[in-house]
This record gives sequence, C-alpha cells and structure tokens, in this order.
Amino acid sequence: MRSLWHILRLIWRDRGAAMRRGLALTVVVSLFGIGLLALSGWFIVAAGIAGLAGLGTVFDVFRPSAGVRFLAIARTAARYGERLLTHDATLKALASLRVRLLAGVSAADFATLSRLRAGGALNRLTADIDALDGLAIRLIFPALAGLIASIATLIGLWYLVAPVVALWAVGVTVLGGVVVLVLAGRAAFVPASRAETRQQALRAGVIAHLRGRAQLVVAGRLLDSRNTLLDQDRAARRDALQQSRVEWRAAAMLQAVAAVALSGTLVLAGQHVLDGRIGPAQAALAVLATLAMAELTAALQRGAAELGRMRDAAGRVAAALETPPTVQIAASETAPGLQLCGLSVAPLPGLQPVVADLDLTILPGETVALTGPSGRGKTAVLNTVAGLVPAMSGRVRAGGLVGYLTQRPALIAGTVRDTLKLASPDADDGPMRNVLAACALDLPLDTRLGEGGAGLSGGQSRRLALARTLIRRPDILLLDEPTEGLDAPTAAAMMRGIREWLPQAAILIAAHRDHDLIPATRIVVL
Amino acid sequence: MAPTNTEIAHRLSALTAPQRRRLNRSAVAAVVAETLWLPQAALLAWGLAGLATGQPLPLTWMGLGVAGLGLARAGLAVFGAAQSEAAADAVIGSARLDCLRRADRRAPEASAPSSAATAALIVDKLAMLRPYLLRWHPAQARVAVVPLLILGISFAVSWAAGLILAISGPLIPIFMALIGLAARDASARQMDEIAGLNAMLIDRLAALIDIRLLDARDRMLADFEHRADHLRRRTLEVLRIAFLSSAVLELFAALGVAMMAVFVGFSLLGQLGFGTWGEAITIGEGIFLLLMAPAFFQPLRDMAAAWHDRVAAQSVARDLLADQATGDPQIIGQGGSAPARGGPIAVRGLVLRGRDMPDLDMAPGEAVALTGVSGGGKSSLLLALAGLIPSGGAVRIGGAVLDDKTADAWRAGLALIPQKIHFLDATLRENLAPDASDTEIAAAIQLARASAVVARLPDGLQTRLGEEGAGVSGGEARRLIIARAALRRPAVILADEPTADLDDQTAAEVIEGLLGLHRRGATLIAATHDPRLIAALPRQIEVGP
Repeated sequence: MRSLWHILRLIWRDRGAAMRRGLALTVVVSLFGIGLLALSGWFIVAAGIAGLAGLGTVFDVFRPSAGVRFLAIARTAARYGERLLTHDATLKALASLRVRLLAGVSAADFATLSRLRAGGALNRLTADIDALDGLAIRLIFPALAGLIASIATLIGLWYLVAPVVALWAVGVTVLGGVVVLVLAGRAAFVPASRAETRQQALRAGVIAHLRGRAQLVVAGRLLDSRNTLLDQDRAARRDALQQSRVEWRAAAMLQAVAAVALSGTLVLAGQHVLDGRIGPAQAALAVLATLAMAELTAALQRGAAELGRMRDAAGRVAAALETPPTVQIAASETAPGLQLCGLSVAPLPGLQPVVADLDLTILPGETVALTGPSGRGKTAVLNTVAGLVPAMSGRVRAGGLVGYLTQRPALIAGTVRDTLKLASPDADDGPMRNVLAACALDLPLDTRLGEGGAGLSGGQSRRLALARTLIRRPDILLLDEPTEGLDAPTAAAMMRGIREWLPQAAILIAAHRDHDLIPATRIVVL
Repeated sequence: MAPTNTEIAHRLSALTAPQRRRLNRSAVAAVVAETLWLPQAALLAWGLAGLATGQPLPLTWMGLGVAGLGLARAGLAVFGAAQSEAAADAVIGSARLDCLRRADRRAPEASAPSSAATAALIVDKLAMLRPYLLRWHPAQARVAVVPLLILGISFAVSWAAGLILAISGPLIPIFMALIGLAARDASARQMDEIAGLNAMLIDRLAALIDIRLLDARDRMLADFEHRADHLRRRTLEVLRIAFLSSAVLELFAALGVAMMAVFVGFSLLGQLGFGTWGEAITIGEGIFLLLMAPAFFQPLRDMAAAWHDRVAAQSVARDLLADQATGDPQIIGQGGSAPARGGPIAVRGLVLRGRDMPDLDMAPGEAVALTGVSGGGKSSLLLALAGLIPSGGAVRIGGAVLDDKTADAWRAGLALIPQKIHFLDATLRENLAPDASDTEIAAAIQLARASAVVARLPDGLQTRLGEEGAGVSGGEARRLIIARAALRRPAVILADEPTADLDDQTAAEVIEGLLGLHRRGATLIAATHDPRLIAALPRQIEVGP
C-alpha cells in the first residue's frame, strides 16, 4: 500500500493544481446530481398539493423550476469539465512517469542491461503504468467526493426532512456501500493482482516465443511452446473472470443496498407524514435524494475491484524508479590517443580478473590488434576502455570521443537512414552515403530493416553497425571482431575504408583470426 | 488496403457468432431487469401520492415491494453479467489461439510484424472485446425495447408527456451517429499509436547498450517523451469525443426530465388545460411520469457510454483483418515434433528474394561449404533448407517435396547453428536439450569444447543467459550452440558461420567437433567465409553472383 501512496504523491506533485480543480468538480457533480432529483420530487409533490388546495396561482413555480433547469445543465457541464481535467492531468502525470521509468531502466549498469529481457521491461513501461491510471480517477476522487457529498446530504436531509430519515438514507447507503466495496476489494485483491501478473507473463511469453520461433521450429518445439502459452492464457483468463465476477457481484449488491435504502426511506418518511411531523413534499424530497445517492457508491465499484492490480503495478514501478542510476563516464584526458596504465579487468564487476596489469599506448593514426584465444578478456578490455565496466585497477586515458563496435551490436527497426540518425541526428544524406561506402556497404538509405535489424545478412548488419559508429567520427575507435562474417575482399576494403574515413584515430581491434586482413601497426597478444 | 466498414462488421459478428445464445440470454436479462423499474416506480409514485392526498396506505407492504423488486433486478443483473462474461471469455480465448497460430507460421523476415505488436494484439487488444460484449451488447438490446415501452406508457397517461419524450429521444441517436464517426477514426489512430510505441520500445530496450555507446540515451529519452506525449494526446482525443458525446446525451436527458417536471408541475397546479385524455393528471401519475423519464434516457446513455467499447472492438476487428491479410512468407510445416525422416537433398531452380540459388544434390553423410560474397544469399539458402522460408517446391528430401506434410519430420533430424544466436528465456540446460541426461549433455559440451565455459558460469547449467548470450563471450556462446546441435543427434547439420568469433585454436577444435558429428554419419552444410573451415570440407559451392 505504501507504494500506492508513493505513486499517488508523485502524480499529485506533478499535477497538483489540475487535480485539486478536478476533485472540486467531482464534488459538484455528485452534489448537483442529488440536488436535481430531490428538488424535482419536492417540486412536483408540492405543486400537486397546491393544485389540490386550489392555491395553484399563488404557488411560486418559477424559482424551483429554474433551479431544476440550472442543476441539470450545470451538472452536465461540471461532469464534462471534471472528466477532461482529471483524465488530462492523470495522462500527463503518467506520461512523465513513463519517461522517468525508461530513464531509470536505461541508466542501469552494464551487467543489468546485458541481462535485460525486453518483454519484462516493456511490461513495466506500458501495462504497469496503464494499470495506475484509475488510481486517482476511479478510486481516490470518487471516494473523497462521495464522502463529502454524503455528509452534505446528511446535513441537508437532517434539517429539511427529519434526523431519523437522514440517518437511515445516508447511513444505509454509506455503510452498506462501504461494506460491499471493502468486501469486493478484498475478494478481488488476489485475483486482480494475479490476473495482471499472468497477463504480463503471457505478454512477455508471447514476445519471447515469437522472437525465438525459428529456433523452436527447428527444434520441433513450437507446438509445445504454443501449448504452454495457451495454458498461460487460460490461467490468465480464469483470473480475469474471477476478478470481474467479484466486480459485477459487487454491482448487484450495491443495487440491493440501494433498494433497501429506498424502501426504508419510503416507509420511514411515510410514517413521519402520517404522524404529521413532515409534509408529503419533504417525504418526496427524501425518497428521491436516496434514489440519487446510489450513484455515489456505484462510481467506486470498478476502482475497488482493481485495487490489487494497482497495488502490484505501483510496487513494481516504485521499485524500478528507486534503482539508483549508476552513471559511468569514460575517463577523459587532454592528451590525444589512448593510454592504458596497469589496467586489470574482469568481464563483469565481481568476477575474477581476466587481464592483469596491461600497459598500452596507441597514438593517433596507429592501429593495434589485440589477439589471444577466446575467453582471454579481449572484449573485457574493450568494454572497460569504453566505460561500460569499471576497471579493477589501473587507468584508462582516452583523448577524445570513443567509438565502439561491440561483438553483438543491436540494430533497431526503421530505415538505414534512421539507424545512422540514431548516432548522428544532424547528418545529411551525402555523409551517410560516404560512411556506408567506407564500410564497403552498398545499401540504399531507404532500405527497411525489421525488428532488431531483421532482413540484413550477418555481415551487412555488422557493417551497418560499424557505419553507425563511424559517422560520429570518433578519435578513439574500438572494434571487436570487425571482419567477422565477411569475405576476405570485403573485409580488406572495409578496413581500408575505416582508415581513410578516420586517418587520425587511435584504433584498437580485438581479433582472433584474419590478422592478415587487419592492417595493424602492432599486435598485442593476451 | 483498409477494410471497409461492412468487412469489419462481418468480422466482428463472425467472432461473436459461436456465443450467440449466451449473448441473447444476457440481453433478455438486461431488458427484463430494466423493465422491472416500472412497477418499482409505480409503487413509489402511489405511495408518495397517497401521502400527499391523505389516503390510507399499506406502507410496509409497499416498502417490501420496492425492496423485493430491487433485489430481483440485482439478481437478473448477476445472471446477465455471468452469461456475457462466459461468452466474452470464450470469444477471446478462441481469437487468441487463431492469432497465435498465424503468427507462429510467419517466416522470420523483415516484413513480419514486430513481436511486440503481435503480442499487443493477442494479449491487450483482444481483451478489449470483453467490455464490448459485457456493456455494448446488453445496452443495445435495452435500447431496442425499454424506451419504446416507456414512451407507450407515457402516451397512455398523457399525450403531452409522451410527446416530450418522443421529441427529445430521437435526437440522441442522430447526435451519437455523428460523434461516433469521429470517435472511430480517433480510436483507430490511438491504437496505431500504442502499437507503434510498443514496437519502438521493444527495439530500444534490446539496444540499450548500443544506445549508450552512441551517446544517444538523451535523444532516445527525448524521442520517447515525444512519442509518449503523442500517445497521451491521441488518448485524450478519444476521451474528449467520448466525454463530449456523453455530455450531449446527459444534456438532452436532463432537459427532457426538466421539461417533464415543469409540465407535470404546471399541470398539477391547474395552469395547463391540455395534454391529457380528458381528466387532469393526478399527483400519482405525475410522479410516475417523472420517475419514468430518466429511465427512458438511461439505456441510450448506457449505449453512449459503451460506444467507446464498440469502437475499440471495431478497431480490434480491423487489426484482425489486417493480421489475416498479410501475405507474409510462411514457415513450412507446423513446428511440432515428428519421427525423423531424411534422405538425399536435391535443390532445383530455387529462387530466394529474386536471386537464383545454385542447384544442389547431396547424398546422406556428405559435407559441403557454401561460400560467396556477404549478402549473396548463403544464409537464406540455409533457412530454405530448414523450411523456415518458403522454397516453392524447389527443395526435395529423399524424393519428396519439402512441404507442410514433410517439413516437421525433416527438421526432426536437423540441427541449425544460426548466425545470430538466440537463447530462450530458460536455463542453459533447457536451452541445450530439455530431456537429455547429464552424461549426454557433458559429452556434447565436451565435443563443442565448451566444458570450461560452463564451469566458469556462476550457476553452471542452471544459469539463465541473456537473449543473445549475454554472460558469455561471442565465441563461447557459439560453442554452446554447437553443443545444442550435437545433442539433437542430427542426421543433417546446417551451420551458418559456425567458426565466427573463434580464435584459431578453438576454431580448429570446433571444426573437429563438427567433423566428428559428420563422421558419425551426419550431413554437414556450412555457410562460411572461413578458409580454415572451407579447407576442412571436401566440397565447396559458390552462392550468389
């Protein structure tokens, strides 16, 4: 529950003014709704009595009927304003919450990022945030407005009709409503949160299943995997069904409470009239006010049923927001080139070091090849130089912008132009074509890539990722297995192109083969 | 081409047709529950009128009547909702199965919709059919019956009262139709925006490391902020129309009720000499007319409130039509398990993405290297041989065309070592082979020279690796994939650059491992640039121009 308050505070802090206005309008809507029916009932009965008594000409019809019209129109306008205001404010607050969440996720350290499963993170950013949109609109506001309107109705009926009638009408509606809603909230709490968890698992499962479907097909496991998903779907639907069953049972119980309150008011107020303590018009006022009060509790019923789902989502979002952002900055010095002094590195923080005490200086224009068997820490050195992983000891001095082609670069969907724009938003088509040529890649800028760069061959994706790195004209260039998946002539052309594109860059290449393809000025064996 | 409204309506009714009976029962329950308000209102009116005129009244009985009728309405509501819920659940379940089946068959190509978009359709959008069936359907039934009934009763009491309702009622559907047209476009735009945002997010989330290395994080966040704000505006656009339509309705309903109150009030005061069938209306009739007036508008208001659900359901139907219509290349076969069947491979006149592929004949147990320039189609040829992209009947296995009937059996004896490594979200052990014994796994890992890799992992075989093998180096991941291939005891191995990311020594070991499988009788087809691997294989075929 604390995280729910935490999120509510965040929303309120973000959009306090709009929220306060929205709340005020919600109260107005509730009060005018009750006032409208009560006044109409009183007016008709009073008019009828006056007509019977032959006092039709002296009865003031204009003020009550003007009041009825005013309440009807003002209520409609207030309802429209209230809805627009609260939804707008909530949507704005949630949009900025989404951005903060993505900022938090993307600021995580390398170890976390490399294990991130896209489907789960997507759930945080979309479904969890969406689950929170009812927090203010469907729960807090109707509850507060209902409370205020109930108190006002209690006072009104107390003075205008009779204390006993007021206590019965408001008491039964409010107490009955609270009991039903609390019971419903409790009964739906577990299924609602389970339904949401299962639905998110289903979404992540469908994404993982579809992304891995080539592998599943070859393994002959596609049908098994689909059946697992269908089981998950059945379970998710069962929970959703259970949650909504609670919801509409609560609705029916609220209807029953309203019927009991209404019939009681009729009997009590009628008895008061028979005893001569109030007039029939006051009785009509009481009966119709009770009828209108049913709307107060009905507004809360969906919010109560969603409570479990909202609490879980709030917990996950709050936890994701609290993750302290670890910002890593590549050490920067004024001396051009790249200098490593006594560097010890591990693949990830906390693991055993794989390279100890490495000293290396690369001057501008030099190309150094780092070789050694697989698993010897070539990639770890590059990751450390690029600032992804902190050094265990020693120092990295990089004079200028660092560009890094990783072993498994990830491309994004869109055109080739979009890919390059991600690295250099202001680049024109001319430089884009030149950098593609430097990478020995002959692709039109409008070529469309699918999800994760699908549609290109392995060698093409690598070269496009290289072009994306080169277009920023880095002073220090780190390349992890740049010639992988390329035929020898293409690889040679690409290596020549890189040097022509960046004549003054200090280039460090991790490579385990094709040394002959790499025009290295020096070779360092790990 | 966008589907027409008729097509959308057909799709939607085809979706719900199997549940017609439950939906009808729920509609009847909704109509009866709504109609029960009339005797309830009559009791209230009779009671209040009796109090005003001082007639003796069975007050307690009347109270019990009001309460009893209210309870009956509540019971009917529970019954109706249960019917709709069951119907919605069945409709969603079968639609999900349908979509998943279709998505499963799509070849992994650039043109396939993003997995996030498909997941959004299957999980989130189809769920929108629930409110449609739960709210729109019963509301529609009530609109057809209840207002006419109340109109008739009002006319019977007083023709002027009936006239008030008859005039203000029909204006509502006209307004609703106008607003509904705008709402459909806005809602469709909002849905597209949601799908676009999800697809963008899933791609960015998978590329967060690259984005950081390119210093593009702030740009990505700004971009996302922009898109999120766009989505917010689209959503508000939809809501604004919904709110406006219900405001218009409420206004008409409120004016209708107010007019009725004024008419009844003036009639009772004796200031109006018209509107009745002879005698002036009584207090009881007046109250009854006033209580019925809101009920006349209520079904229309509920229908308007559910209008958004209907529009959402229509855009789901539109998406389903679009999903069915994609002419994406399909995976051959079902992807299930089957008894393995092999034989000689024969490729004749295969064309992939407009490129002619070389003809190929391979007897079981042969080994060949596919070579050629990068982007020339080596990987596509391997995918076609695995039946992952259509080959138009140009591939024959053991004399039989590789088609939907033969593909699963063919793949049962097949191992694919893809260029882009993908680990399922499960433990390493489950990724390698869910059913293999410890000894088998150890042997396969040994063969792939990956024992040291597994030994170094924090949880050994129970480790969960990242989607693309985060947690191990590129060369290590490739050796694990080769171990996975070995565990399938394949008759045929299709390997795409199996020695990529490997140093000389490890490459030699992996080549030795592959040849070991080959010597045991497996056919080996490897797409490669690696001279070490080409040299180790007896035959070489040039692919591409």
